[in-house]
Amino acid sequence: MKRFRARFGLMLALVAVLAIPLAVACGGDDDDDDGGDPTPTEMADGDAVTVGDLTITGGWVRTTTNDVSAAYMMVKNDGLEDTLVAAASPISPMVQLHEVITEGSSSKMQQKEGGFTVPAQGMVELKPGGYHIMLMNLTEPLEEGDEVEVTVTFEKAGEVTLTLPVQKAEGTSMDMDSGHGGMGSETPTMGGN
Amino acid sequence: MNQTRRIAALTAVVLFGALLATACGGSNDDDGNGSENGDGTAPEYLGAVIAPPPSMPEAILLDENGEEFDLQEETDGYVTLLYVGYTHCPDICPTHLHEIDVALRQLDEDVASKVKVIMATADPERDTPEQLKQYLDSFNESFVGLTGPRELMDQFQVALGLQPATRTDIGNGNYTVNHAAYVMAFTPDDRLAHLVYPSGMGMREWLNDLPLLVEKGYDPE
Repeated sequence: MKRFRARFGLMLALVAVLAIPLAVACGGDDDDDDGGDPTPTEMADGDAVTVGDLTITGGWVRTTTNDVSAAYMMVKNDGLEDTLVAAASPISPMVQLHEVITEGSSSKMQQKEGGFTVPAQGMVELKPGGYHIMLMNLTEPLEEGDEVEVTVTFEKAGEVTLTLPVQKAEGTSMDMDSGHGGMGSETPTMGGN
Repeated sequence: MNQTRRIAALTAVVLFGALLATACGGSNDDDGNGSENGDGTAPEYLGAVIAPPPSMPEAILLDENGEEFDLQEETDGYVTLLYVGYTHCPDICPTHLHEIDVALRQLDEDVASKVKVIMATADPERDTPEQLKQYLDSFNESFVGLTGPRELMDQFQVALGLQPATRTDIGNGNYTVNHAAYVMAFTPDDRLAHLVYPSGMGMREWLNDLPLLVEKGYDPE
């Protein structure tokens, strides 16, 4: 390695550290303009997988160039409260349920203790910036067009295996603005149980 | 999991929540903090305003090709989107990078060619130049990756007004990295980042703000 040099304006930096949480907190203007319409009505019935009272739609897994990826999906509940307590995949020996938490100027992912609650007659969405199923120590990189099996286990409804498409992204803002456009027709399908 | 750490994290969340609650009116049109245009129309920039704006640090780091990268020099004349992330980040980092890439492809060439995108790593132990190149090329070959010794990368984040990245051990030798919560947009005229883009902002904000930032920098009046 060659030499490195850095000169930073430390005073300025210090001031900035103090100011940023305030400023950032206020800048976003209209994050809630999607009108409180969380029902995944745009999903075709054919895309859905059901287990007990739960309906899972819009699942996908992110492409990666290394050994870490994430799986996302939407779980709708027509019954009593349930909890997504575990997930597993043949491509990953280490799968965890993660949430993203933002503290001041820093974001972090951590295990979601107790899993993801699916409220009675409600839904939980696993999506970028919120909840995800973290797939680690992948045996191979994931490319667009691949498919990945993910088995999710719910406290009450039991387990179900999904075959999820590997995609580059489902951007959060596109999600907000225009619903789930390009989900692909094979998303997700019922697998062996 | 370590109990003390959990409590510390929880405390931090609560504190931040309090900050949010105090700082925000909740409405988007009467905050009176200068985000309106002089003529009273809605704010034209969609990014989050930070004050005082951090300045572009003077730093020479290692780029994704293993070459020295003089930050000030290399970003001269560009709107610079600077993000501190890491390649083993499966969630927020790739979302930001993908949305920036898609936006740049949709924008006019004379805007897109004036935007430089840089991801500086918060995980220099794993993010070698090779790792960064492979990762960033999967989004856009023009994206720059920066790395360096841990100590320098920590200083770099502090200079940007960020908390230096810390690790969270998640077992079996795996760890996650706590990193910048937003992409910073430095303007070419004053080399300051007046606007930042936290998770949840993306395409819509880039398509709106990048042409403005290229044309006139940050000039909300």
